[in-house]
Amino acid sequence: MPNTFAEIQNEMRNIAKELLESGEATMVIGWEKGALPYQSTPVMIRSAEDVDKLIWDEYCQQNLSTYLIDYIYTDEKVAIFAKGCDTRAYNRLIQDNRIKAEKSIVIGVPCLGMKNAREAAKLPEGAEVPMANACKECRYPNPVTFDRKIGEDVTPWCTERDFSDVEAIEALSADEKYAFWQSQYTKCIRCYACRNICPACNCTSCIFDQSASGWCSKDVNASENQFYGVTRAFHVAGRCIECGQCEMVCPSEVPIMLMNKKFIKDIDSLFGAHEAGIDIDTPAPLSHFSVSDPEEFM
Amino acid sequence: MKFIEKTNLTSLLAQLDAQYRLLVPVDYHGLTQFAPYSQVDSGVSQLYLDGNVTVSPKTVYLPQSEAMYKFSAQGKKLAIEEMPPLDRMQVLFGVRHCDTKAIQCLDKVFLDDTFADPQYKDKRDKTIVFSLACNNPKATCFCESMGIDRAHAEQSVADVQVYDLGERYGFEAVSDKGQACLNALNGMTDGEAKLPEQKPQSISFDAQGLPEKLKEMFDHPIWDEYAFKCLNCGTCSYICPTCHCFDINNKMRGTTGLKLRTWDSCMFGEYTQMAGGHQPRPGKKERVRNRFLHKLQYFNEKHNMSLCVGCGRCIAKCPVNMDITKFIRQVIAE
Repeated sequence: MPNTFAEIQNEMRNIAKELLESGEATMVIGWEKGALPYQSTPVMIRSAEDVDKLIWDEYCQQNLSTYLIDYIYTDEKVAIFAKGCDTRAYNRLIQDNRIKAEKSIVIGVPCLGMKNAREAAKLPEGAEVPMANACKECRYPNPVTFDRKIGEDVTPWCTERDFSDVEAIEALSADEKYAFWQSQYTKCIRCYACRNICPACNCTSCIFDQSASGWCSKDVNASENQFYGVTRAFHVAGRCIECGQCEMVCPSEVPIMLMNKKFIKDIDSLFGAHEAGIDIDTPAPLSHFSVSDPEEFM
Repeated sequence: MKFIEKTNLTSLLAQLDAQYRLLVPVDYHGLTQFAPYSQVDSGVSQLYLDGNVTVSPKTVYLPQSEAMYKFSAQGKKLAIEEMPPLDRMQVLFGVRHCDTKAIQCLDKVFLDDTFADPQYKDKRDKTIVFSLACNNPKATCFCESMGIDRAHAEQSVADVQVYDLGERYGFEAVSDKGQACLNALNGMTDGEAKLPEQKPQSISFDAQGLPEKLKEMFDHPIWDEYAFKCLNCGTCSYICPTCHCFDINNKMRGTTGLKLRTWDSCMFGEYTQMAGGHQPRPGKKERVRNRFLHKLQYFNEKHNMSLCVGCGRCIAKCPVNMDITKFIRQVIAE
């Protein structure tokens, strides 16, 4: 069984080669090395000759499942490599009817947690880089669904989420909470990177792409930015797979996952524990109706 | 050259702040940008001089949201109220050389021979730029390959050239405006100094002939290869010091409103959406191609200069690490 980074990488290349040569897949999406040691980036492989571009290292954080959306109306059969979180995203996209299982091949890769690329950029070369924040609390490092799998399953290093950061905000007064989020969302430049990388943000059209509607102004200020942030958080509630990519790609370092975790905490207490995307049969708590749903507001 | 000990920088900035509206590079809760010095003074932000800021100084001349005028309906008549110009001179401290070149790019657009944008011009005329040379480039820096002079900031933009000389900063006036500003500052010493040693940039290439090559590559498969991973977010456009596209829209409340100019990005669907629903740039490929060609070909053809200044922000911040230097090298090697 391949288990080291090098062995898994080698196996990735072998599988990609096999899939492309046999015609089972028309393209393979994996990761290649980016500009800097702490950057690994998606790569599209169409020819067996190019499989050596594929790499597997501690910075392959980006989820590749969302790329499947781009090919749903084409004749492509796309193979992707997928970590635990990526397979949860895959299940969620299947549930949302945004991708089709028969048009994709999922090659599962157990993951030992990715490193924090943002911290790596700030640290001196050679320094020990901490694990990415979202990965620290990952309970599903092993693929939850796959057509093929590389390597042996790993033992999850986290059994329960740490909500202490959410509780710290909950403990603040209303004014303090307001001041905190005000200072964070003042920074937002509304580039929508958080939305565009998010597997839960898979709508065919988004309220924030319809400025003529007047729902949200293009004026960039703390108020409009918070409207964007809060609306998005509400919309991904119950469907967030906690990959943490929104926060990781934010050029302004807004702690987006803090809000997502608050929603997760509330949903768990209101509707019972829910883990988005661990299978395709359990509906997301806010995507269906049950007579036992709390209705104190009625 | 005039000097000040680094330990006295605060007193120098305080002097500037007393005479001008002073803008300095700061770290505000993890976001680095130019902000009023009062933020540093009050401890809301920390002065940030270790590297270039994430949000470029284009915000000073072309804010992300800017009111162009106020309007209100008075019966059947429309009343327009102009926005006031800057009420005092401002100093922009610590602009890196790549960004001074970027401001020159913006000048080509907003101070065009046929029309000078009044709001842009007002800010350009009333800003004194202190440009700081970089001794230690970041791993993402490639300004030298884009033709930027690392020893001297763009002369049409900088007013005062600043050098980091280890224990002290050296200042040299580049313009009359800069000279007058320096003359009025106390606590500086005069003398001569050798320019600091500048470490080489790790990204280096020869971009000679790039626009000509790209002219023949509109239908090249390279666009599919690069565009596939793009998320069509606006990070690159918004942090880019030269990306200057904007949208004009209204912000209404009752019978009054603001005409706003807000940044826009060619990565967004609404950017090229036409009345009637036609979308001439429907996907990633068309949008990525447009952005790269604007930077590396079209602007060259129109203004004889590149619209990429090698600041490296997009390499550092693009969520999918779209690497413009890799693209350039690949095109050159074609």
